[in-house]
Amino acid sequence: MAYPYVSDHEVQIVSKHFGDPKQRRVDTYVERGGYQALKKAFDMGPEQVIDVVKSSGLRGRGGAGFPTGVKWSFMPKESGKPHYLLCNADESEPGTFKDRELIRWDPHQLIEGCLIGAYAIGAQHVYIYCRGEFFEVNQILARAVEDAYAKGYIGKDIMGSGNDLELTVHQGAGAYICGEETGLMNSLEGRRGQPRVKPPFPAAVGAFGMPSTINNVETLCAVTHIVDNGGEWYRQYGTEKSPGTKLFCVSGHVNKPGNYELPLGFPLTQLIEEVCGGMRDGNALKAVIPGGSSVPIINAEEVSRCNLDYEGCVEVGTMLGCASVIVMDETTDVVKAVRRMVDFYAHESCGQCTPCREGSAWTAKILRRIEDGRGTEEDLDTLMQMTQQMVGTTICVLSDSVAAPVQSSIEKFRDEYLALSRRGERVGAA
Amino acid sequence: MSDIPFKNPGWAGNTGEFDLTEEQVRGDDFVGDRPKHGGHASGAGTLPYMLADKHPEAALFEGEYQERFEKILTRYPTKQAALLPALGLAQEIRGHVSPESMDRVAELLDLSPAYVRGVTTFYTMYNKRPVGDHLVQVCTNISCNLAGADEVVDAFLRYTDTELGETSEDGKFTVIEAECLAACGFPTCVQINSRYFENVTPDQVPQICEHLKSQGGE
Repeated sequence: MAYPYVSDHEVQIVSKHFGDPKQRRVDTYVERGGYQALKKAFDMGPEQVIDVVKSSGLRGRGGAGFPTGVKWSFMPKESGKPHYLLCNADESEPGTFKDRELIRWDPHQLIEGCLIGAYAIGAQHVYIYCRGEFFEVNQILARAVEDAYAKGYIGKDIMGSGNDLELTVHQGAGAYICGEETGLMNSLEGRRGQPRVKPPFPAAVGAFGMPSTINNVETLCAVTHIVDNGGEWYRQYGTEKSPGTKLFCVSGHVNKPGNYELPLGFPLTQLIEEVCGGMRDGNALKAVIPGGSSVPIINAEEVSRCNLDYEGCVEVGTMLGCASVIVMDETTDVVKAVRRMVDFYAHESCGQCTPCREGSAWTAKILRRIEDGRGTEEDLDTLMQMTQQMVGTTICVLSDSVAAPVQSSIEKFRDEYLALSRRGERVGAA
Repeated sequence: MSDIPFKNPGWAGNTGEFDLTEEQVRGDDFVGDRPKHGGHASGAGTLPYMLADKHPEAALFEGEYQERFEKILTRYPTKQAALLPALGLAQEIRGHVSPESMDRVAELLDLSPAYVRGVTTFYTMYNKRPVGDHLVQVCTNISCNLAGADEVVDAFLRYTDTELGETSEDGKFTVIEAECLAACGFPTCVQINSRYFENVTPDQVPQICEHLKSQGGE
């Protein structure tokens, strides 16, 4: 049951026990079949676990959508070095609030997924990098980990299998960029969370210089069920290229915002109208950001054609990202909304690359000027030109994330920008 | 939102179609007070972000806190990796991370003081200056903003009679804007010390502040 509202359209796999406080207890989790997937994984052997995950077609749920099984197979087999599995729980993309729910309602599901993943890639230690602001969530997770240690699901000779795995909950300290995989590794090592140049890729040189894999919370939660039920079972949901279910974090101007677990490929209009109880106050829809603040904004016409899977979103010129659907109704000031998102990126830019550090700050300033009614039409050209120079020119994609909302909103809502600019001219002339 | 059920027990999010208490949503039987020594080493690095009870002059890393610090060290292959948890520990004890605390951490971890300052100032959760008993962080990012977060900020500033980042005269409150707190389905989200207050509206602000004051913040 997704929380706080439930819909008949949902297929509840990872969100099955949302809203049930008993699920946090290790005994309840085990009674309900918990840690059986881990046992199965130990019986299968690492190679076969990777094969099962590959066959499920599971794609990383953190935003990029890279096939998880393939990612795991990049890990060296006999490197003689320690391997690490890192779980990215540094959820901070504006619009996203699924990992917090996954951890606070069902912490053992994540722990089990982490242990399976670690076993598959030959890692001895798992670090769950949990966002620092999530104090309450961290406490629930830390306690669940402690319980799992006490019951012998983590530690030495897990369930008599001869396998040893360690797990540590690491708390972040407030930096969006630490959600970027190499930024996260730097942060874990006690450095500034600045992304690293790739290659070398984490599978070769990752955390502490050792082969590492990093997966999102939702990905690892799904792994638990895939190993338990098989790859084919997972493929019955979703589409050919985007199999399975996904948590959709719906926020903004809908009647019932919340997390909903739906098969991929679900139509966006149906999500808004049927699952989320329609628009607030019966207002008309103006725009939607379907994948968190880093993806292009789409207008009402594009919304009507958008199916929520990785390919469907690309077809209408946007991306699924981490499926954080931000819905805006007709009362929304698009310029203000975009300016607020760009302010965020300007604040969170780590400062390593000039196009991002300077570009995000100047973009924010120009947008603020337009919002205040002091802009000109020429500012729009400047914004377009400047943001074009921010795409593909930096170490990580934070810079590209500034360009996406700015360019798409100028293309689709140019009139709103112009109306604000003209207002300024009138004020100036008076 | 007339026909939509909306329940908000103690600002712990909208329980919607669920019949839950605040304690059940927050997982209070799991959260509770962690022992100062940090419990099991696997979670010893997870710290209360901010406590109302703080002592700017308190000794760092002594007694049970030292025990916790040593547990943290056992979880990483390098000493440096304990830097973030150690800074967090300093903040838990003193309420902020002063240059003096940074130097002490640097010494313990064999790092240069300049390096530790560079790392500390990179992260927003370390208060570089003392703050009020209750650090009020209002999310004003996109989803909360669409729900009227700016008015919630104004309401807090009005109640505390401060400007952004300033500490109120009685030393109780410091109000700042925060970036997305990942509770976008429960706007407006406000983090006060370690706790999230969700679905906050401007008219509830005085009530929240009174509630915090009545808890002490000694």
